[in-house]
Amino acid sequence: MSDSADERSMLPYIIGATVLFFLGVFGTTYLPFFDDQMQAPNENAEIRNYSLDSAEYRGREVYIREGCHTCHTMYVRPVLADSSLGPISQPSDYYYEAPAMLGSKRTGADLMWVGNRWNEDWHREHLLNPQKMLPGSIMPRYDYLSDEDLENLVAYLMSLKPSPQSEGRPVD
Amino acid sequence: MSVKTEIDPFRPAKIYFYSSLFWLGAGLTYGLILSLKFIWPNFLAYGPLQIILQYGRIRPIHTNIVLFGWLTMANVGALFYIIPKLCRNRLSFPRLAYGSAFIWNAVVFAGTVVLTLGYTTTTEYAEWPLWIDIIVVLMFGAIAFICFATIANRNEKQLYVSLWYFMGSLIWLIGLYIIGNLPYKMLSGVPQFLIFWFYGHNVIGLWFTTVGVGILYYLLPLLTKNPLYSHKLSLIGFWTIATFYVWNGPHHLQNGPIPLWLMKAGVIPSVMLIIPVWSVLANVFGTLKGKWHAVPHNVPLMFVVVGSIFYLITCLQGPFHSLQGPSSVIKFSDWVPGHAHLPLFGAFSFIAFAMMYYAIPKIIDHDIHSKKLMGAHFWFSVVGMFLFAFSTWTAGVLEGLAWIEGAQYGMQFVEMLVGMRPLFIIRAIAGALMLVGQMIFVVNLAVTIGKARNAQKGQENSA
Repeated sequence: MSDSADERSMLPYIIGATVLFFLGVFGTTYLPFFDDQMQAPNENAEIRNYSLDSAEYRGREVYIREGCHTCHTMYVRPVLADSSLGPISQPSDYYYEAPAMLGSKRTGADLMWVGNRWNEDWHREHLLNPQKMLPGSIMPRYDYLSDEDLENLVAYLMSLKPSPQSEGRPVD
Repeated sequence: MSVKTEIDPFRPAKIYFYSSLFWLGAGLTYGLILSLKFIWPNFLAYGPLQIILQYGRIRPIHTNIVLFGWLTMANVGALFYIIPKLCRNRLSFPRLAYGSAFIWNAVVFAGTVVLTLGYTTTTEYAEWPLWIDIIVVLMFGAIAFICFATIANRNEKQLYVSLWYFMGSLIWLIGLYIIGNLPYKMLSGVPQFLIFWFYGHNVIGLWFTTVGVGILYYLLPLLTKNPLYSHKLSLIGFWTIATFYVWNGPHHLQNGPIPLWLMKAGVIPSVMLIIPVWSVLANVFGTLKGKWHAVPHNVPLMFVVVGSIFYLITCLQGPFHSLQGPSSVIKFSDWVPGHAHLPLFGAFSFIAFAMMYYAIPKIIDHDIHSKKLMGAHFWFSVVGMFLFAFSTWTAGVLEGLAWIEGAQYGMQFVEMLVGMRPLFIIRAIAGALMLVGQMIFVVNLAVTIGKARNAQKGQENSA
C-alpha cells in the first residue's frame, strides 16, 4: 500500500469529486438548454400549451395524478418499433411540456398522438372499463373518476394530435 | 459493568439498520402487488383500495420506499458504522445522527402518503413534492456533515478506499438531488427530461453504487481475511467512476429527440464505465484468491460474491443497451425493470444484507440467531432475483420484437400482452420468493436482537 501524502488528505477527493461532477452536470443538464433544436416551439407545442382554465389542462393534471405516465410513453423514435405510431418526436414538440412526460416504460401503448387514434366515446368507455374495448388488456379501470375528471381526461387525450405542420414528417 | 452506563456509540447505525428493515418489507410488498396487477389488473380493486393501490400511484411508492426507505437507510447505517471503524474514532454528533433517523422515517412515510393521494412530480425516483425534497436535502446535508466531521477528526492517517467512495457519494448525492428536484414547473421540455434522467441515472450510480462499492471494499478483507488485492486498481476505479458516471443521463433518451452530440456525450462514457466495474470485480476476485473454499460456509461472503457478479452483469448490460441498436429493441420494454432490479436488489441490497449480517452481531454483541435461516434468506433472494431477471428480460425482448412486427397499439398490443402472461406470472412468483426471503431475514434479525437484549438483562440481574 502506498503511503503517499495525497491519500492522507481529504481535500483531493473532495475537490476532485466535486469538479468531475459539475463537468458532467454542465455537459448533460445545462448545455442542452442552449442547443438550437431546443430553442423554439412548433405548432404541436402550441397545441399542447394549454391555458390554465382549459379542460385539457385539468385533464393533464388527472393524467399526472393517476400516474398514467408510469405505463405510457409520449416518445416516438425513428425506429421500427415505433413505425406506426405517427410523426417522430422532435424537441420542439415538447417546448412547453412541464413536467416533461416522455416516459421510460411502455406497459401500455405510446400516447404521443393518441388523439388521432380513437374518438371521445371510445376513450370514455375504455377508461371506465378497458377490458370491454380491448379484451385481455391489463389496464386498470378508472371508473372511480368523477364525471368532470373523466371528461377532462378524455379532452386531454383527444388533444394529443399532430398539427398539419408535422404531416410531411417522416414516420419511419 | 461501567460499559453499559456509557451511551452505545453505534446507536445511530443501529436505528438506521432497524428502520431500513421495516421499509424493506413494505417496499417489497408494494412490488409484489404491482407484479400481481400485471396478471389481474383489478387485483385488490375493492372500495377505497382501488384508488389507494392503483397501479400508477403505487409504482412510484414502490421505487421510493425501496430506494430511500430501505437502501438509503441501510447505506447510512453502514456509513455510521464503517466510518468510525476506519477512522479509529467515534461518530461525531451522535445525537444528531440518532435523531435524523426519526426524521428520515417520517419523510419516507410522508412521501408514501403524498404519493398515495396522487401528488407527484413525475420525475422518476424523485416523485416526492418540493416541500419533502427540501427536508430531504437538509437531512442529506446533516448526514454528510456528520460523516465529514468524523473523517476530519480521525485518528488513522491513511484514508482507506471505502472512505473515498463515501466522501464522493455524499457530495454527489446532495448535488444530484438538488438538480433533479428543481421545481418541476420551472423548467420544461426535453432539457427538463434530460435533467430527470441525469438524476434518475446518477442517484443509482453516484449514491447506491458508490456507497455499495465502498461497503464492498470494507467487507472484502474482513470476510476473506485476505488483504485487499490491489490498492492501485481501487484508485483507478474510483477516479474513472467519478469521471464517467455523471455523463450517462442522455443515454436514457437514446434514439429520442436529442441532438447527436448529446447522444455521443452520453453513450461514450457509458461504454467507458466498463473500466471502474472491471477494477472492482478484479479486486473482488483477486482478494478471494485462495479463499474460495470458505465462501459456501459464510453467508455474508456468499452475498458479497453473488452481489458482485450481479453488479458485473448490470454493468455489462448498461453499456450494451445504451447503444442505438439494442436500445431500439429493448427500450421501454419489461427488460428495463429487469435491468433496474439487478443493481438495486441483486447487487447493492445483497451487499447491504452482508453488511448487516456482519455489523449487527458486532453492535449488539450476539451471534445471528440461525445460520440456516441466513442460508434460506440467501437462496430465496438469489432464486427470486434470477427468476425476476430472466422473466423480464425474456418478456422485454419478445415485446420489443412484437413492436417491430407492428403490435404498437390497440388490439395487436393487447394480444402481445396476453402472450406475455406466463412471464408475468413467473415475475410475480419471483417477487413472492424475494419477499419471503426478506421476511426470513427480518425475523432472523429480530430474534437475534431479542436474544441479545435478554442476555444483557440477564447480565444486569446477575451483576
